[in-house]
Amino acid sequence: MKVHVEHLTRVEGHGDIVLNAGSGKLESVQWRVTEAPRLFESFVVGRPYHQLAQITSRICGICSIGHTLASLKATEAALGVEISTQSAMLRRLALHAENLQSHILHIGYLVAPDLFGAGSVFPLIETHPAAVHNIVKLHRISNEMSDLVCGRTTHPTNLVVGGVWKVPSEKSLIEIRQKLVDCVDTFNDVARVVLANAERLPAFSRETEYVALGSEIEYALYDGAIASTDTGRHPVDDYRSVVNEFVVPQSTAKYCRHARDSYMVGALARFNLNHDKLTPLAKQWARKFGLYPVNCNPFMNNVAQVVEFGHSLEDSIALINKMLNRGLKDEARQKITPKAGHGVGAIEVPRGILFHDYTYNDKGVCAKANCVIPTNQNHGNIQKDMEAFAPTLLDRPGREIELNLEMLVRAYDPCISCSTHCMKVRFKL
Amino acid sequence: MMPAKTMGVKIKMTIDGKEYECEPNQTVLDVAGANGIPIPTLCFNPLFASHRSGSCRMCLVEVVAGGRPGLQPSCTLPVSSGLSVSTVSKQVYRARRLAVEFLVSEHTQKCRDCPASGGCTLAKFCRDYDINGVPVCSECPNQRESCLLKRGVLCMGPITYANCNAYCTRKGYRCEGCHSTLVNEDVLRFGLAAYRDAGFRAEDILEGAEVFAHDKVSILEAVMKREGML
Repeated sequence: MKVHVEHLTRVEGHGDIVLNAGSGKLESVQWRVTEAPRLFESFVVGRPYHQLAQITSRICGICSIGHTLASLKATEAALGVEISTQSAMLRRLALHAENLQSHILHIGYLVAPDLFGAGSVFPLIETHPAAVHNIVKLHRISNEMSDLVCGRTTHPTNLVVGGVWKVPSEKSLIEIRQKLVDCVDTFNDVARVVLANAERLPAFSRETEYVALGSEIEYALYDGAIASTDTGRHPVDDYRSVVNEFVVPQSTAKYCRHARDSYMVGALARFNLNHDKLTPLAKQWARKFGLYPVNCNPFMNNVAQVVEFGHSLEDSIALINKMLNRGLKDEARQKITPKAGHGVGAIEVPRGILFHDYTYNDKGVCAKANCVIPTNQNHGNIQKDMEAFAPTLLDRPGREIELNLEMLVRAYDPCISCSTHCMKVRFKL
Repeated sequence: MMPAKTMGVKIKMTIDGKEYECEPNQTVLDVAGANGIPIPTLCFNPLFASHRSGSCRMCLVEVVAGGRPGLQPSCTLPVSSGLSVSTVSKQVYRARRLAVEFLVSEHTQKCRDCPASGGCTLAKFCRDYDINGVPVCSECPNQRESCLLKRGVLCMGPITYANCNAYCTRKGYRCEGCHSTLVNEDVLRFGLAAYRDAGFRAEDILEGAEVFAHDKVSILEAVMKREGML
């Protein structure tokens, strides 16, 4: 029997699943990434420091805020720039906006069809109009928040080296806070619908290593040290010793490994490492879903995203309150003096931990760049999960094997590239 | 209905140096059409062939000999013996281009580069005549003192292709030039003058344009040289 999914739908970019089995035994199963390299690390070389975030933001249309922030953090570390508390708060808010945008997109449009047994989100408009309406509403508010804090819904213009370009007005922050408060009930409704259909998520478990940022003071998204469920904390500057990128023949994307053959990053990794710092709403939903640390079911990454949506929603409201209580200050933009240096920026984006690493010459021009993207860190773990999961499926019909393997990959919310593609699925028996 | 006295009498006229035989009641556009010589039209519709207003100015040809010299709309220009016109002269190209520019200046900018607008004649003419629009400044509400250039911010608006409704500058952020740099020299010249007045260096402008319009930097550079900025 052969299962060949070329290419997998409802994920970002191009990836194929290839399974060969004979007389009830698995011969091979492979997760193949067929994307062409996009060479961002090469074309930022020779560019001045203030353009790097602008360029690397274009790596992804979903994580554009995350890439911008990781890039700014790396540049600021290299040039020795400190940002104000207010700027850091606005950046955290920007990151929450992205988390909200991305998680609701994944849960609502990409995973929900699997939970309802539909092919895409469009049939759900007929069958579950209220749920789809709520999902679109949450997505809209996330976009509005990003538009306010970042200047645009994608590819932020407000986030610059040394802080932010412009502080949003008090009035606009109060408005968006009200909208977020109104969203809590909508979120609860969506979470309830997901919970009611969560039994469709396969009960599969495989122990692995989880890597995310960790912090003593908050649920680490913007700041922290590298944390692993196997080896504890590592400084961000030592990221190379954690990611250990390597090349495999079936994939154009690099794989990563640390303490084991593979590790996982993303919402589930963050939950497993930092669950105690979640907001009450998020903790409450984690309990309802039966999500307890350390959870080794990759399908629960979808649930962890629902939980994180609640966290970002509540924490955004708290952050805005804190900012309004401090009083908004119109800070002058920092004057940056270019100098030679090397800096690493690490940040938690919706799909996991992201590293940008830049070396600048004395004129502030980039001499070397390295970006390690979350999905690349997950490829190895997807492959290992498939190897463990596929043998348990072999007695089922081919279409079901295909669907289950697709759901496994989709659970990782992989962002293989950022393009929209026309998909064709070929299935041979 | 053709007048009886001219029926069957043929006359000769020249288009782009080649002689054609035609009926005396035809127009230059008719003769060109009958002989496969392309002349663009917008307001001419073959279904209403009797109504020829000559108003869109797209069918302009240059009279070289045998008539009043200069540019004339071919849809209303009757043939006459010995008339010689050019459909491809530099003057004709410029005049047609200007006609399209006037039309699109009042036209929505949004559909211009949308692939779904493939059937639009005006969009096709924009491509044919290398018209790529107006700068972001034309949509930007920041006038005079609130212009970012006046506040010392290197905004890419003056040389960037509009149709985003000045999304960023409208909210006070600088234009990064993500819609790519304009290539129309006349428009660029205005934009560069704005930079010069505000005291920006040519090197910085080029560096900014390189991010999203690497392929057009050489054009920008050439115009800067002609303008004495480099």
